[in-house]
Order: sequence, then structure tokens, then C-alpha cells
Amino acid sequence: MGDDSNPLMMIVWILPIILFVFYGQQIQLFVTSREIKKGLKKLDSFRGESKTELIGYLKNNLKVKDDPLKKIDKFLDYFTIMPVDMDPNGIVDKVHHTVRSREDYTRAHVKSLSPEMNDVELSKIQTLLEIASSLQMIYKIMNHMFLTAKKQNNYPLILPLQMILPFIMEQAEAMREAVPAFISGQPVGDGIGPMVVGKMMLEHEKETVAFQTSLSKIDFEDRKLFLLKAEGPASTVGRPADALQTITLENKLDAIIMIDAALKMEGEDSATTAQGFGAAIGGIGTERFQIEAIATSKNIPIFSVVIKQSVKEAITLMTKEIADTAEDVHTQVFDMIRENTSPGQSVAIIGVGNTSGVPQ
Amino acid sequence: MIFSKKKITTAYTVEQCLKCNTLTKRKFHDGDVLFTELSKCNSCDGLTRIEKIFGETIEQ
Repeated sequence: MGDDSNPLMMIVWILPIILFVFYGQQIQLFVTSREIKKGLKKLDSFRGESKTELIGYLKNNLKVKDDPLKKIDKFLDYFTIMPVDMDPNGIVDKVHHTVRSREDYTRAHVKSLSPEMNDVELSKIQTLLEIASSLQMIYKIMNHMFLTAKKQNNYPLILPLQMILPFIMEQAEAMREAVPAFISGQPVGDGIGPMVVGKMMLEHEKETVAFQTSLSKIDFEDRKLFLLKAEGPASTVGRPADALQTITLENKLDAIIMIDAALKMEGEDSATTAQGFGAAIGGIGTERFQIEAIATSKNIPIFSVVIKQSVKEAITLMTKEIADTAEDVHTQVFDMIRENTSPGQSVAIIGVGNTSGVPQ
Repeated sequence: MIFSKKKITTAYTVEQCLKCNTLTKRKFHDGDVLFTELSKCNSCDGLTRIEKIFGETIEQ
């Protein structure tokens, strides 16, 4: 009890209180900064590794004319300015145009690295370039936010960074781990839709109906099926909306069934399937807009089957659990056709997703 | 993260005989592409086709 009046013990109690009152934010800033620095170091190594692997792949597997380093560096810093959306009228067409122009530009310039490059290799390089430039952009933005907070010595400014860092790291790690799968031409989780439709297209005549998009017409229990998927085994998602447009110009469709990978919620099991209504297609939104517009104008119902998976599973080598759902999804699609259409009708079945390593 | 285990993913290829439907799982080889017909089946004289390519992750 004598401790209460001991002046030394009082200082031991009072000093930390004074320290935390006046320097609490600086201490928190120091601790948080250390955590963020670790994350940034990892992000920096991810962008460096993805770039090195891309350049290594170009040098070792393709007959690149000159040193690709300069050109690759230029591509990595390429940016896209999205159209002004103050007046949303016509924004979809503008976004569509901007994104397509960028794709066409990248394709043409990647091709110029090695004119003998075939389409599969070209799509592979484009995907690797996309991954490397995304990692570069993530690193730059996070580094900018961190340095701004440090420069201003502003703790509240660093809080949002600390909060989003785990989510950013999850996405960046997924992208980093996606590189080997795309280099080896292996199917990724997102390819489950094209895998189901690709198997249905085997041993049937195929035609290119839109850019990098393949079509097969088959008969099933007196119904006509239009099977659509991106042209594999290249690493592409094709242009399903353009393909659907072409089909509906000459044919009357009675239903559209879309098969795609969908992001699972936390707590949901991976590789579970679910059925629903509406266009199941990701991306920037222009493809979905176009498909919805076609379906609305022609009064065609859209049904969807989705295979749940995490961000990482969607872009890395397909897991066994996801690959094993292919048979079940196949059965579900045929059940949907029987339940929602009658003999004599026509159905479009679209396998949505990146078809890397998945031919037809 | 001293307790986190290292995760290693190995790619596998599953071939199915088109005649007797026997499934064979083996490690992925460079050049393996889904749905391509490969070799003769070990159980019969049918041809095998690659049905699945997937990764299995183990913690070390």
C-alpha cells in the first residue's frame, strides 16, 4: 500500500499517460507504417517478378526481334482514361470503344515484338502484360497513398490504407500466382464455363462467329442449340455479345443460358453451383449491357448457372473441386433446357470466361 | 507469420479412355491441353482423352 505515495511509482504511471496523450498518433503512425511498408515491399516484389517472368518468356519462347525491355516498360505504364460520365447518355458505347481500342492497340504492338507469334502466344503475352501492368498500377497507387500520409505526418490519412491493404494483397497475390498457369497454358477457375461448353462442342462443326469467339450448332431433343465460347486454347474471353447479335440476326432464340464463374461470399463453399436469372458475365459491363439489350429487344429470357469461387481460384490453376463440377453443370444445363423450352425451340448456351487452355 | 505453412500446388492431368472410360491421373506435362486425344489406354486398345487439368495444393 506504500506504493501509492511512492513518487517513483507515480512517474511510472503518469509518464506513459502523458506520452500517449501527446504522441499517441505518432506512435500509431509508426506501428501502422511498418505494417504497410511490409505490404508495399511485397507488392514491389510481385510487380518485379511478373515483369521478369514476362520478359523471360518472351526471350526464351518467342523469336523477339529486339530487346523487349523498353517496349514492355512502355506497355506497363500505359493508362486508359475512361470517358466523362457527367452526362451518362451513350456512356456504354464510349467505354466500349475505349476498351476495344486499347485491346486492339496492345494486340498490334505485342504482335510487332515477334511477327511470327501465333494467336495463342499473342493472347498469352497480352494476359501476362495485363497482369504485370495491373500489379504495377496497384503498387504505384498504394505507394502514393502511403508516401502522402507520411509526408503530411497524418495518421487518419493512413487508416484507409491500412484497412484496404489486406484486400489489395489478396488480389495482388492472386495475380502473382496466376502467372505460371497462363505461361503453361493451363485452365484457370474462370474457365469452367468455357470448359463445360467446350466439351459439348467436341466432335461438332465449329465456326468463328465473332472475333475470337467460336460457335457450334447442335440438336438436342428436337431443340436447336447454339453453343458459344471464346476460341480456346488461347487466353481470351472472346466477344459473346457480338456473337449473340449475329445469331439473333438470322435465328429466333427462345432462351439464353449463360455459364460463368462467380465470386463466392465469405463463408460460402468453393465450387458450389447456383442457378438464377439475368446475364452472368463480368468485366467492365459493356458485354452484359449488350447481351441484356439484345435479350430485351427480342424478348428472350436469360438463365444462368454460376460456379462459386474466390478471386484467387478464378485466376489461378483450376482446382480439383471446380473441375469436378463440370459434369454436374453439364447435367443442370440440359435440365434447364428441358424445363424452360419445348421441342422445336432454339437456345443459345454461352460459356463465359477466360478460355486459356480450354479448346473446343 | 512464423506458424504459416508453405503451400505447394501441383498440376495434374486426368485422362479418360474413350472406350472403357478408365480414368488415369498423372502429373501435368508441358503441352497437355484439355480434350486432346493422347495415347493408347493401358486397359484396352482404346484412345485416351484429357478430361481434366487441375491443381492440388498441399501445405508443408
